[in-house]
Parts: sequence; structure tokens; C-alpha cells
Amino acid sequence: MNDHSRALTRAAPILLIIGLAIAWQAPDVGWLRLSDAESKRAELMTSALDALPDQPRVLIGYDPDLGTYAEIRQTARALLADLLARDGRLAFVSLTAEGRALASAELARLGRGEANPTRLLDVGFIPGAEAGLVGLTRDIRAGQLDDGAFTREVELEGIGAFDAIVVIGGNDLGPRSWVEQVMPRIGDVPLLSVTPIVLLPEVEPYLAGEQLAAGLTTPRDGAAYRESLELGNLSRLVESTEPRPLPLLLGMLVAVAVLGQALGARMLEHLRSAGSRSIG
Amino acid sequence: MSDFFGTTTADTIATWIAAIVTLIVLGALIGERRVFGWSQHLLAGLATGFLALIALTEVIGPRLVQPLAADPTGRPELWAGVALVATAAGAPWLPRQLSMIPASIAIGALAAFALGGAVIGTLLPQIDASIVRQGGSLGTTVAGASAAVVTALVLIGFLHGRPRGRLVTTAAATGRWLLIGGLGGWLGFLIVSRLILLVDRIAFLLGDWLGLGR
Repeated sequence: MNDHSRALTRAAPILLIIGLAIAWQAPDVGWLRLSDAESKRAELMTSALDALPDQPRVLIGYDPDLGTYAEIRQTARALLADLLARDGRLAFVSLTAEGRALASAELARLGRGEANPTRLLDVGFIPGAEAGLVGLTRDIRAGQLDDGAFTREVELEGIGAFDAIVVIGGNDLGPRSWVEQVMPRIGDVPLLSVTPIVLLPEVEPYLAGEQLAAGLTTPRDGAAYRESLELGNLSRLVESTEPRPLPLLLGMLVAVAVLGQALGARMLEHLRSAGSRSIG
Repeated sequence: MSDFFGTTTADTIATWIAAIVTLIVLGALIGERRVFGWSQHLLAGLATGFLALIALTEVIGPRLVQPLAADPTGRPELWAGVALVATAAGAPWLPRQLSMIPASIAIGALAAFALGGAVIGTLLPQIDASIVRQGGSLGTTVAGASAAVVTALVLIGFLHGRPRGRLVTTAAATGRWLLIGGLGGWLGFLIVSRLILLVDRIAFLLGDWLGLGR
């Protein structure tokens, strides 16, 4: 590697960040949209939520991964706002430490957004991974943010108190663990999920097999779902800015170019060595 | 905008700290490794501290100490839990046969739940869902059959160390290539996720920290 290419390699990450920053600031491009107007996953999620009873009681398994939370954060917040707009009562539980940290941050954010505190219940952190999930189906002890009524219902009825379960996933204890440990132990409670695209291969069979009633699994599904919402006064609970597709497109093009360059260089090297062998 | 921080002085300080640490991490891209190393230590320390805090305030306190204090004789299983925790904590000074008991119970219980759940919750329902049924559309039938074939080939790909025939060897090689293809697709998804994270951090620096709107 000569000095010129070494300097280019060193400068490339900074150039990429500068390029992404410029693309983030650039005006919207009309033809470039993140949302898919005909997202069946988004429609399925809306249908599943529509099928819930009035004032649904929903258990939120909040266990995203810090590394992928940026991808699902806006959709997760939109889903929480949607549930609150449907007069839902939400109980948050986490089975991982990072999930607990993010759930605490989101509960604090909902508090700042003046969400009705009587509709929020902090069940907290449940230790024991899969064993903790199984324990959750037998006994739930709660309550910090609720005025008492919701807490009493949950403590009295346990997991049977809930009309639906929403899993905000991203790490090992995501929708798969809920399907495996919780669903066989409870009745026909719909299980919904919001997961980053990296979990798509894991979640897809559960959606196809209808073990998950609905799931938002890609950024496009999430954007389509957010676009379909009419939250009225509660729109203050969703993020004010949507993710921008232009920097994502630019980043993907750069990634494809880097991969293509690496593949092309190997092929060229292979052809050269084959050519020199045939000459020799 | 991440909206994690509000408008109080403490939130402003938190935003500045987050921005500075983000810049330090991005600085590693241009070779500034020493401060980046410190930021890794900071992350590890914060994570450990947070974990300890959760363990004390949400597990040991409310689920162990408080029930025992309220009814010392009514919950014998909690005393067994105390004994196991004490054994685990004293592992460096105890005989190996004794110190391995809590770890064995923990690993055994986790494996039992994970394996049992995988069979009851995933394997059987997924086999049931992928069985080719009469009356389904052609696409569903083809997809189900393809999934079954790919699953079988990848499972055969994990066979090793036994004498094989030509057919099994070919199937195993095909299964390994399918596995590599699947991993390639998964890495593609990972690139999308990480790219979104990078763009989100840039948006945080420009929007939340510098206040540059769009």
C-alpha cells in the first residue's frame, strides 16, 4: 500500500461521516421515501391493534439492544403512543439490564411528555432470562408509576390481566424467547413485536406461522406504520423528526462500493495470476 | 433527535457528555485510540455499576431481603437462595465440589428452559406450520417444501467425523454453502442496522447537540 492509498484509507471514515452529515442536512428528495405505502406488516399491526378490546391492558416486554435501538426507537415510541391513544394501559417489564435502562429512559420520557401516569406501570427488571420469563407467567409483582388500580389488577390476575403482549426486541430475549417460554403457558393472547431488521430471519418464521400476531421488522415497515398513525394530542409522544432516507442511501451505496471494490480486486488478482501462469 | 434529554440544566450537561463521548468514539476512526480506550473503560464501569444497582434495588432487595424480613419462616426457598448466593460469592475460598453447585443449577435450569421452550415453542409449531398441506396455494406449498429442504441440507452440513457416502457429502457441502449464503444475508441486515446507528449518532450531534435543524 503506497502513501497515497494509506492516506485515503485513513481519511475515508471521516469523509463518510462528513458525507452522511451533509446528506442529513440536505433537503428531502421527493422520490426517496422510507415508508412503503403498501406495507402488509404495518397493516397487520394496525389490524391487530384494532382487534384489541377498549382500553386494552398491554404488557410491554422492553428489551431492545443498545446497538440496534436507533433503528426501532421511533417505531417503538409511536407504538406506545398509539396504544395510549387507544386508552391502553401499559405495563413495562425488562429481562435484560440494557432493556431495563432503555425502559427507564422511555418511561421518564413519557413522564416528560405528560402521558397519563395512571396508565403506566413499571414492573421493573426480572432476573433469570428464560426462567424469569416462565416466572412471569405465574406471578407478577409491580408498581411504581400507577395509582394503584392497574397494579392491583395485574398483581391479582397475573399475566392473565393482559389483552396483548408487545415485545420490543433486539437482543437474545426477544420475540423468540416470548414465543418459546410464554405463549405455550398462556391462552390466546396476541403477541406483537417491534424488532430491528437484523432479527428478521429469526422473527419471520413466527410471523409466517402466526405465532406472532403482527410484527414490524424492517425500517420500511416501521416508517409505514408511523405514517398511518393519527395520534391527535398524543403526537407529542412521538419523535418530531423522521429518519432521513438520503444518508441511509448514501451509506448503503458506499458499503456496496467497498464490498464491490474488495471483490473486484480479488477477481483481478486471480485473473492476473491465472494469466501469468498461462504465459509461463 | 433522540429526545432522551429534556431541557433542564442536568439534561444539557448529559447532552454535552454524550456528545463528547460520541466524538471520542468516532475519533477512533482516525487513530485516536487512547481516549477511545478510556471511553471503553467508562462504558464498562457504568454498565457494571448499573447492573449492580439493578441487582440490589430490583432483585436482592425486593425479592429476597424484604420477603425474608417480613416472614422469615414462611419462605424456606428464599433461604435456599441465600445459601446458593453465598456459596457463589464465596466460591474462591470454598472446595470446588461445593462452589460448583450454584453454577451447575443455574446452567442446568437455563439449558432446560431454553431447550424445552425451543422444542415446544419453536420446533414443533414450526414443523407444523411448514408441513405441506392440501388446499394451500402453490406458492405456499413450494415455500414450505423449500424451507424443509434447506433446513435438512443445513442440518446435514453440520455432520462431521463419520464415514459418508457421495450423496451425504454433496448434501453436506450444499448445506454449508446455504449456511454461508444465509450468513451473508444476515450480515447485510447488520450493515443496515449499524448504518442507521451511525446516522442516528450524526443526527444527535447535529440536531440535539449543535441544534442544527433541518
